[in-house]
Amino acid sequence: MPTAQELVRKFSDLKTLPHVALRLTKLVNDDRSTMHDFEEVIKLDPVLVTRLLRLVNSPYFGLINKVESIPKAVVYVGMKNLRNLVAVEALRNLFRGGENENGFSRKNLWIHSATVAIIAEMIAKRIFGQEGEDVFLAGIIHDIGLIVEDQLVGESLWSACAAYDPTKNTLALCEQESIGTDHCLVGNLLAKEWRLPNEVLKAIRLHHDMERKHSLGSITSILQLAEYVAGKLGYSPLVGRFDPLPDYLVRHVRSTMTNYKVIMRDLPSEMAKAKDLYETDL
Amino acid sequence: MTGDEFENVFDDLLNGDEELKAFCQVLQEQVPQAFIQLHGDNGVVLPEVAAQPCSAEGVAELLAKTRAAGGRPVAAQGQAGEWCYGLRVDKISAVLLFSLPGRSDNLLVEPHGRQLLQGVIDYALLQQEQQLLKIENEQIFRQIAVLKQKHTALIEDNFRQYRLIQDKEKEYARTLESEIARQTAELRNTNARLEEASRLQSEFLANMSHELRTPMNAIIGFSDLLLELKLDKESREYAQTIKNAGMNLLVLINDILDLAKIEAGRIELEHAPFDLRETVDNVASLFRIPAREKKLSFMVEIAPQLPALLYGDNNRLRQILINLVGNAMKFTAAGEVAIVIGLQSLASEQAQVVFSVRDSGIGIPPERQQAIFDKFTQADGSTTRKYGGTGLGLAICHQLVQLMGGSIAVKSVEGEGSSFFFTLPLKVARPDAVVAPRPEPEGRAEGNMQAEAASVRSALRVLLVEDNPVNQRLASIIIKKQGCELAVAGDGIEALAQLEKHVFDLVLMDVQMPNMDGLEATRRIRKIEASSGARAQYAGLRNRTKPLSIIGLTAHARKEDEQSCYGAGMNGFLTKPIIRARLEAVLAEEAEACNLGRPQGPAA
Repeated sequence: MPTAQELVRKFSDLKTLPHVALRLTKLVNDDRSTMHDFEEVIKLDPVLVTRLLRLVNSPYFGLINKVESIPKAVVYVGMKNLRNLVAVEALRNLFRGGENENGFSRKNLWIHSATVAIIAEMIAKRIFGQEGEDVFLAGIIHDIGLIVEDQLVGESLWSACAAYDPTKNTLALCEQESIGTDHCLVGNLLAKEWRLPNEVLKAIRLHHDMERKHSLGSITSILQLAEYVAGKLGYSPLVGRFDPLPDYLVRHVRSTMTNYKVIMRDLPSEMAKAKDLYETDL
Repeated sequence: MTGDEFENVFDDLLNGDEELKAFCQVLQEQVPQAFIQLHGDNGVVLPEVAAQPCSAEGVAELLAKTRAAGGRPVAAQGQAGEWCYGLRVDKISAVLLFSLPGRSDNLLVEPHGRQLLQGVIDYALLQQEQQLLKIENEQIFRQIAVLKQKHTALIEDNFRQYRLIQDKEKEYARTLESEIARQTAELRNTNARLEEASRLQSEFLANMSHELRTPMNAIIGFSDLLLELKLDKESREYAQTIKNAGMNLLVLINDILDLAKIEAGRIELEHAPFDLRETVDNVASLFRIPAREKKLSFMVEIAPQLPALLYGDNNRLRQILINLVGNAMKFTAAGEVAIVIGLQSLASEQAQVVFSVRDSGIGIPPERQQAIFDKFTQADGSTTRKYGGTGLGLAICHQLVQLMGGSIAVKSVEGEGSSFFFTLPLKVARPDAVVAPRPEPEGRAEGNMQAEAASVRSALRVLLVEDNPVNQRLASIIIKKQGCELAVAGDGIEALAQLEKHVFDLVLMDVQMPNMDGLEATRRIRKIEASSGARAQYAGLRNRTKPLSIIGLTAHARKEDEQSCYGAGMNGFLTKPIIRARLEAVLAEEAEACNLGRPQGPAA
């Protein structure tokens, strides 16, 4: 059975993140980078320029005057949003194709990831007063390990999917059975290669860890909440099957129920906005 | 996806009675004396422990009635006569039952009572709405706080980037500075190397000039001497041919060296007052006889308004004119050659003088007119074969005119003649300016110099200090022919040795010699003369009333050479190759001086 490292190495040989994405993540991590550096990288990718201008001119930013210059757009959007924009763009391509009748659909997974990202960002911002950009990135990327497995050990993954029963186990446990590793570990390693922030790496690794109590407001806990909501709304990777909410989070939701109700009330319009922004197939 | 789906996401997590409890609580707070009971659609009954508003049967009956009433309040009287009310509240999916103890009238009959009831319930519901709004408000505040944080972060980041850019700029400036310093140093080095190369080249030129002129001097000098002997016609013709060829070669060598010097930027122009008319007359005098021989009319025209004295380099101007007139003579078979000097303008002591040399010669084809000022170019290749010459003359003229701040051009019609003209800016000199003595002509003019008849200069004792045997011999013959007594020394040391024992009237001192050069020897002689003790040991210096005449012989006619000759204590100098006429003139001058200076007169 392959280890997570082997899978990631093989996958990296097959598919790489676009050059632009790698350079941008590097810039985000570099204290000495300036907006000017970002500008230089973004200019290389016309698709990215279009998306950037669309994003900055969307209602989300609510600017009065239309922004048409790249440097200005970069300043408005900020480094992290820019990184997310690139990540969405890059991942969307990785999630394409691979439709089959084995209960695993990349398209479903993509919609799931995007939904989780949007919900997680809302929870982070509205309930925990966080900036939300890292949480969004964690949401969009948390199940990337499944794509790796689908690409390299598809049949084992499909049998894990078949064995998955939310009342008895988690998908990660089933993967351990049939593949020898799981998408949390694989995704964590891949994201590490892409040099994503540590908090994001941790959340990818732990998002199926239902045993432990993760601290409220951590990316992991927010991801688990968002996964549950997405599942309830019918957007789980394996339609109809998703992990129950861990007890510590049930208690949290109960104690702040009205907060979550407000989020649920605003979710449809947020998703519509996101669809417009990222052109995702929500 | 419907709105319900979104709202019911968390239903699984709820017991379903939170809302009812909250509602119940508000009502109890509002109307504490009332009995209140809520019957949720999900079967929940609240409050869990409370007095019944009416009997159990009554409750069941009232519930059924209320559910059937479609939202209207229902009233029923209990066994004790008290009134119980039921109301369906859709918003919380429950039926509300309540009674007011102590009141025996039916509230619902009174419109006010009904309104009151409805008001209380609405209030309780609004309380819940308010709770939602409050939370929403909180969320908005949190998001505003996030935005504020981001704003602060943005400002900090801006500042950080500003600092970064500043640092980068500073670093860039530093790099630029060091780069400039490096390049400057490199340029300085290159410059120093070039200067050194140029110095070496100029040294080489000077040496070359010496090395080339020395044998030429011998060839011309000895063929000259040969021609003075009694020779048969054939031998005389041969000797004359050797002399002519030698003179031509010397002219050529001088041209090449001149041009090389100009191009190396090694030429120094004089800036001294001179008489332009005299210069032009002098040039003209060189060509009158050849013109007559070729039966050409030779004309000189000088504008009368031309200032008498001008500042400039007289010698170089002569050189240009000789070159141009020489060419005109060469290429003209019949007709005329003319020198015309005009004044183009005269303003505040600055004269623009136009020189032109006109001929009626073969002319220059238009396509060649530009090229003739280039090096080694004549009107066409056949010209050299037919007329001879190096093609350097015009190039030298062109360079010299440029160096003097003027410009030269030609107008020519093939077969009709050419006209070369150049304009020079020359400063006007005051009439009382001291005119520099016109140096003896050199080069091509020398051919026209004929030695004066040798007068007997008896007993003029001459010491010739010269290392080159050929030069030694040539000079010896010329000097002896003048009737002088002659001793010869090969270098400065030998010269001093001769002076120890013998008396001389004149020392001809070569400058460049091995062991001890002429400059050093001269310095020593002057030092000895200055000290009476030392002088006593030298027979040649002991009894002199005035310093010994020392004339330098130098291959280089450069200013610094002249200066170093005088600096070492020489009385004058002659350029090599030795020109017979000049040497004879020096000897004559010296003999005269000695005759005057020595009352006892020369020994016969």
